[in-house]
Parts: sequence; C-alpha cells; structure tokens
Amino acid sequence: MPKKYHIDIKATPLNRDFVSKFKIARGENCINCGKCTKVCIYEAHKRGAKDPRKIDDPHMALCKNCFRCIQECPRGALVKSLDPDFLALGGSYWKPDMLLSIWKQAEDGKVPVSGAGYRGPFTGPGFDGMWTDMSEIVRPTRDGIHGREYISTAVDLGRKLNHLNFADTGSLASNIHQTVDLPIPIIFDIPACKLSNNIMTSFVISAVAAGTFAIMPANDISADIKQYINNIIPLVSPDKITAHQSLISGARLVAIEYATALLNDFGSVKDSIKKISQAVTIVRIPAMTGIEDAVTKLARSGAEVIHIVADYRGMEAPGLRQRFLKDVVRAVHLRLIEERIRDEITIIVSGGIAMAEHVPKAIICGADLIAVDIPLLVALGALLYEQPEMTITLPDWLEKLPAATVVQRIVNLMGAWHSQLLEVMGAMGIREVRRLRGETGRAIFFDEIDKDTFGKLFQQRETASI
Amino acid sequence: MKPETVVIKPMPSRFKHKVPKYKVTRSDACINCGMCAKSCPYGVHERIEGHNKMRPPIDYKCIGYECRKNDEFYCVYKCPRKALSLSLNPMYETLGDCRWTSDMIIATWIMAETGYPPERTDIGYQTGNSDGGFDKLRLKFPVNPLKVERDEISTELRLNRRNDGRSNVVISTPMYGGGMSFGSVSLSTMLSKARNATIWNTFTCTGEGGYPEMLYPYDDHVITQVATGLFGVREETIQRVRIVEFKYAQGAKPGLGGHLLGEKNTESVARMREAVKGTSLFSPFPFHSVYSIEDHKKHIDWIKQMNPKALVSVKVSTPNDVDMVAVGSYYAGAHIIHIDGGYGGTGAAPDIAKKNIAMPIEYAIPKVHNFLKEEGARDAVTLIASGGIRTAHDLVKAICLGADGAVVGTAEMVALECVRCGNCESGRGCARGIASTDSELADLFDDEWATQRIVNLYHAWNYQLVEILQKFGMKSVSELVGRTDLLEHVDYS
Ligand code: SF4
Ligand code: SF4
Ligand code: SF4
Ligand code: SF4
Repeated sequence: MPKKYHIDIKATPLNRDFVSKFKIARGENCINCGKCTKVCIYEAHKRGAKDPRKIDDPHMALCKNCFRCIQECPRGALVKSLDPDFLALGGSYWKPDMLLSIWKQAEDGKVPVSGAGYRGPFTGPGFDGMWTDMSEIVRPTRDGIHGREYISTAVDLGRKLNHLNFADTGSLASNIHQTVDLPIPIIFDIPACKLSNNIMTSFVISAVAAGTFAIMPANDISADIKQYINNIIPLVSPDKITAHQSLISGARLVAIEYATALLNDFGSVKDSIKKISQAVTIVRIPAMTGIEDAVTKLARSGAEVIHIVADYRGMEAPGLRQRFLKDVVRAVHLRLIEERIRDEITIIVSGGIAMAEHVPKAIICGADLIAVDIPLLVALGALLYEQPEMTITLPDWLEKLPAATVVQRIVNLMGAWHSQLLEVMGAMGIREVRRLRGETGRAIFFDEIDKDTFGKLFQQRETASI
Repeated sequence: MKPETVVIKPMPSRFKHKVPKYKVTRSDACINCGMCAKSCPYGVHERIEGHNKMRPPIDYKCIGYECRKNDEFYCVYKCPRKALSLSLNPMYETLGDCRWTSDMIIATWIMAETGYPPERTDIGYQTGNSDGGFDKLRLKFPVNPLKVERDEISTELRLNRRNDGRSNVVISTPMYGGGMSFGSVSLSTMLSKARNATIWNTFTCTGEGGYPEMLYPYDDHVITQVATGLFGVREETIQRVRIVEFKYAQGAKPGLGGHLLGEKNTESVARMREAVKGTSLFSPFPFHSVYSIEDHKKHIDWIKQMNPKALVSVKVSTPNDVDMVAVGSYYAGAHIIHIDGGYGGTGAAPDIAKKNIAMPIEYAIPKVHNFLKEEGARDAVTLIASGGIRTAHDLVKAICLGADGAVVGTAEMVALECVRCGNCESGRGCARGIASTDSELADLFDDEWATQRIVNLYHAWNYQLVEILQKFGMKSVSELVGRTDLLEHVDYS
C-alpha cells in the first residue's frame, strides 16, 4: 500500500473573537450576586479580575446559548439577543453560521459535531437542494465494507485515453498522457482578495503541507514564492505563454485563461507549452450559458483539464437563465457522457464551495475535484459581506500572525474537510473518490423526489413555488 | 383514549424565569404612579411595598399583543404618561431554529407543564418554518364529519400483525420513545422515559448503551436495542423484554454508528457498556456480520430463538431504496419496520451527516407504505416512522402518509426543557442536565418531575390526536393510515 495520506492537524486557537452569534446585556438591576457565574458551565460569566465585587461583561465567544443564566438570574437582569455584527455578516449564500463553522474548523481541524438533530431548512437553493445518500448498511455496496483507513481520496489530473491500442507485436502503441496525482480532490483557487507577499507565501506553504496546489496569476508570483513552483499552478493568458517561460518550465500544472480562440485551437497552445515544459494544462473557463458546448469542443480539441469557474455564490454568468454550480456541473457531465468523452478529461469546479459537504456533492454532480477560495481566507479571520456588494476584509492583526500559525490554520481547515469527506464516503461504502464522480445514485435531489412523491399524491399546480 | 394509569398534574418549569416572547419597555417618562401594577392581572409590573420605584417589567408573564383588546387593563393604554410599549423580545430569536421554532418549543413546554395543548392563540406551533415536508402539508377537514364522541375514539396501535403466536402487544397511543442510550442522556432522563412508557402503556428504547438495572421494573415497556456496537448487549437483556430492536442505521447519521465522546464516557457509562472509561466510543458503520438479506434473517432468527415471545423491530434509515429494505425485513421476519428519516436525532453527530442523511421521512413513508402494499405485506407489519416528528400534527400527517405510528425523541427532550442548543456532546454534556452523565449536572432535576412532564406531553398529543380524529369523523386512529386524500400540500393542489 502506498504511504497513507495524512493531514497533520493541530489545535491553533487564536484566542481572538471572530464574531459571536449572541450578545448578552446585563441590566442595571444586576446585584452582582454571582449566580450567573455559577450556572454557566462554559464560563462565559466571570467575576471581575480587578474588582471581584463586580461581574465582567460576558465573554460571548464562549456562550453556547443554553439559557441558564437568563432563566436563573434572580433579577432577570440578563437579556440575550442575536449579535447585529453576526447578522450583518455574509448574506443569503454565505450564511453567518457557515463562516463561524469554517473559523472553528481552522481553530482545531476537527469535524464539526453537535447534538439535537439538524436545525436548518428542509431544502434550499444551491447544494441544499440535494442530499447525499449515506446508507451503506442497508445496501452492501459494490466496494464492500471497510474502515476509513482504506478509503482513497486521490484523484489524477490530465488527459486519459479512452482505450489502449497495441501494435501487432503486442507492445503498447498508444501514447500515455502525462497526469498529475493529488491526494485530495481539492486545490486552492486564486485568493479571493489581495494578499500581502507574506501571507501569500504562507498560503502556498499550506498548499504544500496539504499536498495540493495553489492557483496563482503568473504576475503575482514573486521570486520568493516561486521556490514552491512544484505546488503552484501559474495562471497565464494564452498569448503570454512565452513571456512566462521560466515559471512554466518548473510547473507541473499550468492554467490558461479561456479565450474563444482556444475552442478550436487548443492544440497550438498546448504545443507552445510543450516546448517549455511537460506541465499538464488546465483551461480556466467561466461558467456561462452554453458551457456544455464549450467544454465539449475543448475536450474534442485535446484539452486535458477544464476548470469551470462560477461566481462566489456558485452562479454562472448571467444569461438566458442563471444556473447554480450543481446544475452546471450535472449538465456538463451528462453532455460529456453522451459524447462519450467524459473519461478522457478532468473537470475542476469552483465558486460557492463553502462547506465540506460541497466537495462530495460537487463530485457526485460530475466534477473530478474542486477548487476552494473564500473559506481559506475565512480560516484566517477574513470577514465576508454580500451586501451592498461583495467585500472581504482581512483582519488587521493578520500580518502579525506567525507564518506557522497561518499555515496551520489553513491546513486544519483542509484536515477537517478531508475527514468529513472520509466520513461521507465511509458511510456510503465508497472506497475511492474517483468512483464517487457522477454517482448521482448516491444522492437524492429535492426537485426530483418532491415531484415524485408529493407531485404524484397532489396534483401539480401551474406555478408551483419551491 | 388514555389508560387509567395516566394522571395529569401541572408540572411547572424548574427555572425561575421563562423565556419571554414579548418585551415590555418602560421609558423615562414613568412617574412610578403604580397604575400598571394595579391594572395588569398577569403580574408583569411590580412595585415592592415601601419602594418608590417600579421593578423592571417581568416580560415572560406578558401575554403580548392579544392584550390590546383588554380595554380595562392593557397597561400600554392605561399608563397616564404613555411610558410603556410592547415589542417582540429579541431573546425570542435566540431560541429554536426553523425546524423547531421558538413557538414550537414554548408550546411543547406548555404541554409538558399542563398536559394540554396551549390555550394561547399567539403561538403558532402546528408547523415549523423549514419550508418543506410536514411544514408544507396541511390537514383537510371535511365540512360535515360524522359525529363521534371523544370517548368512542380509540388511539390504540397493535404492534404484532403476524399471527405467529408471539406476544400480542398493543400500545395505547400510537407513539413511543426513541432510543437514547445511557451515556448520551442522564439516568433521570432515561428513567423518566421508561416510567412514562409504563404509565402510557407504550414503550421506550434502551439505545445502544446497555440495559441499566434501574429499568428492570419497567421491562414490559422497554425495547432492547441491538446496534452495531453491541455495547452491553447480553442474552439476558434480550430475554427480559417484549420487543427487541435491530438498529441497522439511524437517520441522523446513516451509514455511521453512534458517537460517544470520551468526556461523556464516565465510570458508570463505561461499566454499562463494558468499555474503558474516558475513551471515545464509536459504533462501527455496519454490522460486520450482515452482508445480505440472508444474514439479516439469521440475526432475526437468533433473537426469536433466544426470546420466543419477543417481537422484532428493524430500524433503518431512509436511503433511496428504503422500500426494498423494508420489504426485505418483512420477509426476514420483522414485526415492526421502523424507518428513521434524517431530520431528527438527539445524540451527537457530525453536522455533515445530520444534514445530508438520506431522504427526509416525509418521502420515505409513502414510498415504503406503497411498496409494502404492492407486495401484499402491508397488513402483516407495523410501520413506524421517526426523524422529525415534532408535534401531534406531524404525527397525524405521518400516519396519513402511510405510517401506523411514530417514535419521538426530541419532543421528549424538549418536554424536559431542552432548548436545542446542540451542545449535548461537548465537555460535561448538557448544561441543562438532560443529556449529561456529569454527576452535578445530571442532578438538576429528579425523575418524578421529568416523568410527569413527559406524561403530560403525551397527554396533550393524545388529546389533540383525538380532537383531529373527531374532526375527521373517525373512531380509530387506524382509519387514518395512508389517507393522503386528507392532506394538502402548499405547493400542489
Ligand atoms: S445572576 Fe443576575 S443579578 Fe446575579 S450577578 Fe448575574 S446578572 Fe447580576
Ligand atoms: S446562555 Fe448559557 S452559555 Fe450563554 S452565558 Fe448564559 S449560561 Fe453561559
Ligand atoms: S402606569 Fe406608567 S407611569 Fe405609572 S408606573 Fe406604570 S409605567 Fe410608570
Ligand atoms: S445540550 Fe442543549 S440540545 Fe442537548 S439536550 Fe441539553 S439543552 Fe438540549
């Protein structure tokens, strides 16, 4: 067995408050009796360090909303509410709870666990419109039953052959393409906001530590970052290939910005890269109406890896209709299957990947792997606001963090996501993430099942709202 | 109808303050005249004898906007200085979530306290805000139902339909308590569930943490669970009960077994589970001895051999092919098929699994019900649903969709004043003493209080169930099974 892939997680709490969900105000009628300090088992209420006669303001990052202090304060002096800062965070896609969860996973690298059942909506837009089907038990699977230590999350990037050809002599006649192996189906996308050279360096080092790659615009790759070129995917426009020769020559993967000219002429671009290096080439294309056709054409003209990029909420570019990433990927995947070329190329998707569950879900919809951006910054304390326009603000203390801390927090997040991927695959009885790709039988789609169940029981209305 | 053992007694909250829905604000314009204290009959306003200043209003006692109609005492109108105003309390938003709304939690607390559905009309608890499933289904009552008296109505449920000479178990109300192991909940919690099951002539389930000795007096109303971890399962625990449940999977973590984190594995828990104290206990994903329906049958035969009277229940989650599984279990000899949809669960589970489960129970029930019917097996098994049955209305909807009855878990916890904060697994466990084996926390209530709260809750549900059957003009809950024509869906017509 090859060396086991392992992400080294390590608790790296920053002892800083990210945002707190709740706020507790202590009214003037507090008599400093100390009851709240006794009933709060999470120690959110404490007597003053300087003046123990007084009770300090509650430490809200510790509050877990158990209501005991509220209900037991003899004076009813405490009032809890949702913190306005928390409510202002994120937006309709990046829910504040998601951001908080990302932050926590960066702190300890652990799988988020809680009690008392699921608390969210029944279904929803985006990835919330599907459920994975995790019931291995009642359906002994084709892979058999095994522990998570045997589960592989490795994927390979590159062009594959549809079939092998052999010469009359029996020797292999086909030309096997170059591929790049990755131990997890996740790469780092271009950082979602401008980073300083220091943070950028740590960012790349964390990609190295997680055994994956970071995509970076070629122009942003400074001399000291360049030493990690083994784990960097330089992004260049098709006409700048020779200009970035020195970068490309050391890279294992190179990403080319999409231009319509590429559709019929991928070959010549590939040739110019080939002159410089063996790097496997990724075409980075925005999700848009007609993406199925574009991807098919690219695949037909020899593209190796195609990276479909949706916006930060997972939506394709505005067009006749705007689909969410999951529907875009399903459409592309199905088209490539119809065209019988799905297995020949690798599909990366990104945009709106916010939670660990989005990784298996995107893969079930047909992606080979995903690229992640915003969560990597949230791990470092970045705050995201969708309104009035999308903004990401980095905390001012970020620059002061030791590089090792920055690296470890990103690694922790990836460790937690990797564990969750294993959890899902283990429960499904799927032993290799490659086999999860396009496995829609392992998912339940709201639109389909709701129509199939309630649509049949109750006649469908003309304009059913969902 | 309720069994004679059921006695309703008011059992108030164990906390000093309730969680307020409204906020009464008194501005600086107040001159401490005391008028509000005199007018409000609910005791919101207080001025202690000999004090000049009014006490801050006691929000939770306020009945809210409904009070506006009370010209003779509505304090906001009565105050000569217009110093009072009424609004929704920001605290209320911090309670509950879209599945279990704050109104639903408060309503459940009222039921557990009084034994009856709330009289207040300002709490909308019949559906939650999850925007799907039960929350989009409505009951369609006939205009002129057959006239039926309350005491003519039967809510009994027969659990053995096989005519195989095994116990003829009949429960008095079509629901029983879900499996919560010792370790995941406190002994008081577990004991009160068992006592309630006995009083209500129904069942509770051990969960997979073994069979504590203090449950022995309630043997006839306890289901021994055999789960993948086989924690604490012995021949003797299988022989002492009337129902044995095989747990193949549970909705909150299908494909995954239970998690009991190290901190919660205290000395006494470890003894019961025959495990080492302080270690995290994970139940393996599958039974490592079940790979086929034949293996499954062997397990059932094994139980039947060991206890010749017992009924066998098979608990499964709700994957795409849950219907096949159910029929398979029927052929393997199960008396009860218990399908557990995803959106329930009480114990600790990874968030990713809680959300992504398999299919919600609302889809699984008709799927299984219809397939069993097609196979001609529906009349020979009892179909029990769980995973997100929060109210009597959910129970009725589940039965209309094709279940015979339901298992409830979270609702019982909420009756014990769970606030659904979700921290049952962390550190010492539940801060409110419900899901904790920490000696100090587990002592926060006694089992007498807890038993009565659950008995009251069951009564309120049963009361409502009878009321609904009356509105349908039915004499027995069994008439309701599979009656999807009595439902409507907000999105379809
Ligand atoms: S319990 Fe209430 S009165 Fe006592 S110190 Fe805390 S806030 Fe003040
Ligand atoms: S609500 Fe609970 S956790 Fe929060 S401060 Fe009060 S006692 Fe502590
Ligand atoms: S009636 Fe108005 S002025 Fe008088 S005590 Fe009440 S709030 Fe104050
Ligand atoms: S920890 Fe919270 S959710 Fe869990 S049982 Fe206690 S109150 Fe309920």
